[in-house]
Amino acid sequence: MAGSEKTTREAGRLTRLWRWLRRPSGTITVLTLLVTGFASGIIFWGGFNTVVEATNTFEFCISCHEMRDNVYVEYKETIHYSNRTGVRALCSDCHVPKDWTHKMIRKVKASRELYGKVMGTIDTPEKFEAQRLRLARNEWARMKASDSRECRNCHGFDGMDTEVQKPRAKRAHEMAQRDGDTCIDCHKGIAHKKPEGMTDEDEE
Amino acid sequence: MRRNQSMALAIGLALVAAGAAHAAPPDWSKVPAKQITVFYPGASPMEWITKGSEHGGARALRKGETCAGCHEEEVADMGAKMASGQKLEPTPIAGKAAAIPVSVQAANDGENLYLRFQWKQPGSAGGAKGDPENQVKLAMMLEDNKIEFASLGGCWATCHQESRTMPDAKDDKKTKYVVDGSVDGGKYFDLLQWRSSGKPVDGHVAEARVMEGGSALLSADGQKEGDSWTVVFTRKLTGGKGDVALQSGKTYNFGFAIHDDHAIGRFHHVSLGYTIGIDAKADINAAKQ
Repeated sequence: MAGSEKTTREAGRLTRLWRWLRRPSGTITVLTLLVTGFASGIIFWGGFNTVVEATNTFEFCISCHEMRDNVYVEYKETIHYSNRTGVRALCSDCHVPKDWTHKMIRKVKASRELYGKVMGTIDTPEKFEAQRLRLARNEWARMKASDSRECRNCHGFDGMDTEVQKPRAKRAHEMAQRDGDTCIDCHKGIAHKKPEGMTDEDEE
Repeated sequence: MRRNQSMALAIGLALVAAGAAHAAPPDWSKVPAKQITVFYPGASPMEWITKGSEHGGARALRKGETCAGCHEEEVADMGAKMASGQKLEPTPIAGKAAAIPVSVQAANDGENLYLRFQWKQPGSAGGAKGDPENQVKLAMMLEDNKIEFASLGGCWATCHQESRTMPDAKDDKKTKYVVDGSVDGGKYFDLLQWRSSGKPVDGHVAEARVMEGGSALLSADGQKEGDSWTVVFTRKLTGGKGDVALQSGKTYNFGFAIHDDHAIGRFHHVSLGYTIGIDAKADINAAKQ
């Protein structure tokens, strides 16, 4: 009996709140409402984006020892970290889409990594090596499916002058264009060690 | 019986001598030279070449690209990486030459093929002499377009990870071979070698490397003038079992290697795969003189 009364009371509150929200304001001007809503929107949206972008920073990526002690060390030896022109591709440049929709999808999927962090899935070098091939295959599949979208944020065949490349690169890029290959088809291991146990299928 | 054998031997020797005497080398000053750099290959057997996770070019190979198509202009850099142990060489030899530029000329006279190789002797690394008898050897191989990989990678079609002197070799007797190789089936390389100690080799590589049995080689002469070597092969266009019979108008796969500084086994300098044409357009054209 008492429980039923409580439920009825709560339903009453919600109904009243809903009515209040739908009631035209008698004291606040429309301009005030608009300005307040607009400002709140900016603050909320800005705050949300700031938090999302914070998770795209270098510092965030290597704040976990799993990344700092493994892939980061390898990446520091590659051309995407240090090169003639000083252009650096950060972790997120390759691993997080730039456009909002794909970025949000990637971020939601990446939230699973928090579970891995808590469970210590790759918290030692040995565990990391044991998982490296599986993790790499996930990322290769993602890049292949998107036609190497993140690579193409900076690189593109339409802006590529193969005539100034080394013969080896020239041939490979001309063949790739002819055959409709995508960057990751050939450039696995461009920024990290290739995993042990890769098969010929991984190179297809 | 013994007299008959002696007579047969004498006649045979006379015929060979007559053939060699008949062979008139071309005027080399009129034969165009192709510059080919041989380089130190480290331990890069065809199993490595064709493994995509190790060698990015395996993908291009599967599409029919040749080794030379991608690497011809960078072989000296590749040799430097391997000679120094930076890549594919677990036991680098201090002072080992990274690469040797070689001038290659070829001609024919309707009966014989003439090939001349000239290069400057690189500095000696010293150390152990793998082959104490021969300071230098130059081997060349010909293949009649029957082995698919020979068209792409030349001699690499005979180079395997389990061959002697390779890091993982278990059998000291295991030498070059062709996968599914067979002289009767036509899948073999004709192998000729000049040795600084004298006796040349006319053999082949099929199921295994055979350093005898060929009957095409008439002579292989080499000499050093100053610090430069000149080696000339004179080979009949025709040949017997294990020799590639060369025909005018056709091209053949071709590669060569120099065992410099008393080297043995894989510690040689090798060329990428090329083609040689008998009166036919190829990387090296052995035109009639």
